[in-house]
Formats: sequence, C-alpha cells, structure tokens
Amino acid sequence: MAGLAAAFGSGAMTNSINEVDDADLFFVTGTNTTAQHPLIGSRLINAKERGATLILADPRHIQLADFADIHLRHNIGTDVALLNGIMNIIIEEDIYDREYVERRTENFEQLRSVVNRYSPRVVEQITGVDVRDLEAAARAYATAEKAMILYAMGITQHTTGTDNVKTCANLAMLTGHVGKPSTGVNPLRGQNNVQGACDMGGLPNVYSGYQQVSSEDVKKKFEEAWAVDGLSGTVGLTITGMIKAAQRGDLKALYVMGENPMMSDPDSAHVELALSTLEFLVVQDIFLSETARLADVVLPAASFAEKTGTYTNTERKVQLAFKALDPPGSAWDDWEIICEVSRRAGYPMAYDSPADILDEINRVTPSYGGITYRRLKIGYGLQWPCPSEDHPGTPYLHKERFTRGLGSFLPCDFKPLAEVPDSEYDFLLTTGRIYYHFHTGTMTRRISILDREAPEPRVEINPGDAKRLGIGDNDMVELTSRRGSIKAKAEITSRVPSRVIFSTFHFHEASVNLLTNPVHDPVAGIPEYKGCAVKIRRCA
Amino acid sequence: MKSIQREHLAGLLERWSERYKVFAPCRQGQGECIFDRFDEETFTLDYRKPHLPPKAEYLPQSEVLFEVRNGEYRAPMPEGDRLFFGIRACDMMGLRQASHFMNRDVVDPYYRSRNEGAVTVVMACKGPQNETCFCTTTGSGPVSSQGFDLQLYDFGDRFLVEAGSPRGNALLEEDMFDAVDAIWAQGAIQTFRDEASRAIPVVPAVSEAMEMLRNENVSDEVWDYFGTKCIVCGGCAFVCPTCTCFNVTDSVRDRESGVRVRAWDACLYGGFTKEASGHNPRGTQALRLKRRHEHKLRYYSEGDILDGLCGCVGCGRCSDFCPVGIGTLEVVRAISRNTLSP
Repeated sequence: MAGLAAAFGSGAMTNSINEVDDADLFFVTGTNTTAQHPLIGSRLINAKERGATLILADPRHIQLADFADIHLRHNIGTDVALLNGIMNIIIEEDIYDREYVERRTENFEQLRSVVNRYSPRVVEQITGVDVRDLEAAARAYATAEKAMILYAMGITQHTTGTDNVKTCANLAMLTGHVGKPSTGVNPLRGQNNVQGACDMGGLPNVYSGYQQVSSEDVKKKFEEAWAVDGLSGTVGLTITGMIKAAQRGDLKALYVMGENPMMSDPDSAHVELALSTLEFLVVQDIFLSETARLADVVLPAASFAEKTGTYTNTERKVQLAFKALDPPGSAWDDWEIICEVSRRAGYPMAYDSPADILDEINRVTPSYGGITYRRLKIGYGLQWPCPSEDHPGTPYLHKERFTRGLGSFLPCDFKPLAEVPDSEYDFLLTTGRIYYHFHTGTMTRRISILDREAPEPRVEINPGDAKRLGIGDNDMVELTSRRGSIKAKAEITSRVPSRVIFSTFHFHEASVNLLTNPVHDPVAGIPEYKGCAVKIRRCA
Repeated sequence: MKSIQREHLAGLLERWSERYKVFAPCRQGQGECIFDRFDEETFTLDYRKPHLPPKAEYLPQSEVLFEVRNGEYRAPMPEGDRLFFGIRACDMMGLRQASHFMNRDVVDPYYRSRNEGAVTVVMACKGPQNETCFCTTTGSGPVSSQGFDLQLYDFGDRFLVEAGSPRGNALLEEDMFDAVDAIWAQGAIQTFRDEASRAIPVVPAVSEAMEMLRNENVSDEVWDYFGTKCIVCGGCAFVCPTCTCFNVTDSVRDRESGVRVRAWDACLYGGFTKEASGHNPRGTQALRLKRRHEHKLRYYSEGDILDGLCGCVGCGRCSDFCPVGIGTLEVVRAISRNTLSP
C-alpha cells in the first residue's frame, strides 16, 4: 500500500480482474493464486491455455508452477535483488520503454545507478536463480505487449515489504506496463473487504479515501462533517506498534474488531503478555476467538450473511450485499454496535441504515463520491475513483497520468531477512495459508467439510532434509525458534526447497506465530512472516 | 391434452399455492433467475436455463436430521407437498434419477417426505437454452418423455399442456385450462418435439467417450491434464442435478444439546474418499476426476438411469460453471479426441 502510494500516488490494484483475460504475460510473485484467489488463479490457468506466458517467482513449487513457462525459485527474502537483476538486464539490453520512461516518470538515473549494481552473476549468487532464467524472464516481460504483475503477501510480509513493492512498481514503469488495460501492478488483497477497510481510513494516518490526518484542511473538513472540534492531527499506531505500546504500558485500552491478533500477530507469547497488560480489552467478533477469550467485554457481531452493506474487493470495486438471515442471539450489525458504543460515550451517531452511512461516505470521500446506494442496488458494483454519480468508475488507474503526476522510480537495495539461519537455527521458516482455511481458522475450522479436508496443522519439509534428519511422512516434529516451539506432523514434499520449512497460521494447536519474528517493515508496519530461523527435530 | 393462456399462468400458480409449496422460476433483483417459492412479483417465463437445477428443493444444501434439546430428541420432517413448476426436461430427468437412487436401497425419510408427494410441471424446451445443452445426446430432453405430472409446450400466447400421470390428469381439471382438439394437439406437439430436437445437435463425443471408457482405452494423461488444473471447488457437483452425495456431521452445543446435520459434499474433495487409516484410494486430483466422470459415464447403475443414456443428463451446467473448463463436454471431447489441446 505505502510502496505503491509513493511510486504512483494510489495504493491499490492498478487494473481489474477481468483484464487478466486479455493480458499476454503474467509476472506472478508471492501469491499462491490458485489457493488464495482461486478464481483469479483459474483465469491464469485459462490464460496459459489460450497462449499467454506465465513467469512465476516463488520459492515454493505451488500449483501454478505446473503452468509456468519460467519458474524463478529465488531464495526467500531476495525479491529486491531478483527484480533489480531483471531490470539490470532490461536496461543493459536496452529493451526498456524509453519513450514511456521519459514522458511519464522521474528518477530514472537514480534507478539506473542502483540497478547497475545487480548484474546477473551477482543476482544469481544472492537469489540462487540461474542467469539464463533471469534473462529469459527479463526479455519476456519487457517485450510483452500487455504484461500484468500480480503479487500478494509473499511480497509484502517482509521487513523489506515496502521496498519489494516499490521495486515491482519500478519494473512496471521501466517497461511501460502500467496505466494501460491488462497491465499494471496488482496486489491481490487477502480479504473480501481489506481494500474497503483501508479506503475507509482503517489505517493510522488517514481518513477515508486516504485523506491525511495531519492535513489542517482535511482536519477541518471532518470536524465540520461530524460537528466536532479538536480532531487529532497525530498519526496513530500500526497493529505491531500497538502491541509494543501495550507491552510498555503506554497503551491502556484496545478495541479489536474481527481480528484475532493472538494468532495472527508474530511472536504470540509476547502478544498475550501485551494484551494481558492492557487495562481494558474489547473484542467484537462473530465467534469467541482466542483473542476474545482474553477480553473484558465481548461484543457479538453479525456475520456477512446477517447484515446488509458494501464490500470493496481487491480491484477497488464496491459491491452491495444484502442480508439473508437474522443474526443469532444478541448479535448486532457492526455499525449498530459502534453507534451504540458512541452514543453511550456521549456522541450519538445519526445513522438509521447502511445506506445512511454510505451517504456520508459519498459526501466526505472524493474517490467514493459517485458510488451511491442507489447505483449499487441496480448494478454489479463500481470501481473507485468514481467522483460523481454520472462517472462510470475506473477499471484501471494511471491512464495518461499517474495519480501523483509523474511516476516515481524509487530504487531500493537488497537487504537480507532480519533473521537468517545459522548453525543452531539452521532452517528458514516461511508461513502462509492453505486452500481450505481462512486466516486463524475462526470461521473455517467450524465448517465441517473444510475441517475434514484439512483437520490438522502440517509442516512442509523437503524430502532430502527429511531423510537426513530421519523424519518420515506424518511423523510428529518439533519446530523451535528463538521465541517459541510448536509440534505438528511433517508433510514430506518437494513443494518446499531444501532448508525451508513451510507452515500456516490456521491452527491454534500449533500456532506458527509462536515462532515468527516480530520485526516489521519500517513504513507499513507489516511483520516479517515470510522468513525466520528455526530448528526442527523428530519428536521421540 | 388441454391448453392455457399465457396470461393465466400466474393465476394458476397462485391457485396451486393454496395446496402446494410452489417453486417456480423467479427473476432476482440483478437479473439472475433461480427456482424459488412462487411470487407473482418475481415470477418469470423468460428464464432460459436457470443457473442451478431445483436440487436444493429436493436435497437441501444443508438439512438438520435431528436435534437434541435438553436431552430431548426431535427429528424435524419437512411438511407440505411441493410443486415444481417450469423445470426443464434435463432437470426432470435429474430429479428422477436422483430420486430413484435415493430410494433404491434404503428409505431416506427426509428425502422421501420432500419428494414423494411432489408435483412436477415441465416446461419443454423449444431449442437449446444455451451453447452447452446436450440433452438430445443423453436422452433427457428437450422434451420429457415420462415421469412428469404435467408438461407445457410454449405456443406463444398459449401453452399446450400434456398430462403424464393420473395426478397430472387430476390437475388438469382446473377450470383455467381450456379443452383442445386432441388430434390437432398431438400433431402440434410432435412438430414441436421434432423441431426442438433438431435444434440441439447430438454430441457424438459422449457415446464415443463412454465406449472408450468401457474398453479401458483412455490414457491417464487425460486425467493428469485435468487434475493439474482443477482448483477443487466442487462446483461441478453442486450444480449437477444428479449429484446427491452428502456428509453428515454432529454439532454438539453441550452435554444435552446439539444437532446432526447433513450437507452437500463433493467427490473431488480429498477427504471424501480418505479412509480412517489416512490412506486415500483416490489420492490425487487426477484420480478423483477420473472417478467422478467414470461414475457419470461408465459405472452408473443401469437401474438408476431410467430411460436416459447415463448418469449425466446433459444440462451442461458443469461446462457452464467450471472456472477452468472441466465440464462433462470438455472431458468427453478430450477423451474422444485423445488429444489434450482444448
């Protein structure tokens, strides 16, 4: 988000899902698309069958690897080096889009001087990727007519997450693959409304539509809209920042909605300590999650099927969903709970329905100005920016001009993972998700067929490593990092490269975030879930 | 044989609603058509092939088999007779095959109570409803030959109505139906059938693939090819009128209370065939796809397919909806061509 906002001026998928069907080439990295965005993954498979080219950059042999023309299995955490290496070749071979770079971007010389250091041989050393593959990928991407970059958490969940994103943006601009249909830099968002949560200001530094809290004009605008004085102009804390502040005793109360930090945040043992240090913890959720168990007050919320409202999906499309069932027991819609809490705190909110709330969003959020309830009710959704009721919405961003004017090359140097394996902790643990479960399993582990398909935590280990350590398939193994230890069954598979362990954070029985490293990207605050050092042994 | 004016149909359904739970094609707010409880406001006759067969009405997506509350057992049985109006001939065959299978070896009281008294009113198709229709190949359409109570033939401002059972004949006693000349009507229906059948070409690949499967003449590469790209959504089973597999689970609230529920399942999920030991006789997606298609095209029980060709009724929905093109049509074509290029 922060990386794309800096390079282009907008932190969102630049293009649309439908445009996948017309692209000639895909550079897919850090997304297990068929498992996590299966319908987008299906389009990639179909695109391959109609003759498109697929370049996959992923350390694991995921399902898409079976379809890839080139699979770059780079070492974990070497994304910047890999992408810089590709750009090095593109500049060296003079196959970048000179006209585009001159007309639409700035900072090219700076990019050239940084990328210059990443010769194919150097990059091969860092990433483990064969020079020939690197060259083939560079040539194919640069010369494709319409090339899309797709990425997800494999790019962002690093201490260098923002650098990784900026580097993806550099590559797209260098080759002129942004601001046109079926191109762009496309972060696939992991939840149906995480884009919406960001758009609505669920970030420490902005109001809705990315209006900065530190801007006097913006502050005044919202004070008027809400008829209040003295809104804070100070940037707030990220989640990782909150946990640290709670631990220090600086944060006294926390109101958690639909999130389960006890399992989703790194170094869970310290998260539990931090949450128990709070004077007051409120959790609003549809189930009694691991975090809700620690709460002083639990506010039961309605699930998606039990409420009406809008979601903003990964392609910036706002869609209206209608209530199908009444919420059970004493559960309420989230907006009703928030209004009631606000009323009791002395600020009654005058909303009668989700439509009322969207009305206000339309008034105070320029990019959502034309996304009205009336229009959503009769169609299949609208993509922002959509400033007025007669605007059709925007399938792809940065046409003719970037949101910020010129696209800015923001070159980055490669930095290694914060914690690399050593002689004691000699494996690299990378974490992710599987097809059948969502996040911390709060919902999916309660669904019998999904839980049947994936009933227990597994730890993926390469056959060579397993053999060396005397680990058999399904043997119980113990994984230990500097922060904790878990036990789970081994799955011996060449999906993971040698010296790499993969596991997920879906299972409370073996919560992988007891192990992960609580270091984070300095800008976005996102933790380095994708790599930390562990040791593994077969349980007796 | 009777007829009814097009403009009287909604009134007829209104009248039937006094005696039956009537399910009919309904137009949703954003344009889609589904089978739902009849409602004059949303009822439509312009519905082509609805995205889903009316399966959820004869085998709900999930259904409570019994519940225990404070130690007391209660098995809720669906009540009231149903009437399915406007189902397509392929779906009629799907319903017949499913019912035959579900009632064959043991009595499933839940299934039976929903379907024993159910009235079926078929809307004969004038031609293909979209490009994946292949009912003329599977012997299930475009017009039903038996098993229905009533069948309607669209002749513009009126429908000819044929009874297929004594119950259908009784329904035709309603004064909203008009008498027609029997000999003329027979001729008109015959012409309708001939024209409709001609409009839906037979897909020879289906019987060719069936033959090749019987002769064990299909390369594993076919299944490997499809297995590699299947995303395991299970959608093909959920949209299929003849897929009736379900899973049964208990949800225990406390020592004295809980429910036992059954819900749709799909043979493409690994857990469907996984054994308690951990062994899975269909251990790969390729094997699971092979089993699924062989069940439809080869290992169906002769008694269950009634007068159809096989366990597939040619509705084409798996081809309509599979996100990666693994519907029956794609599979039989790949088998019969014995090449893998799409």
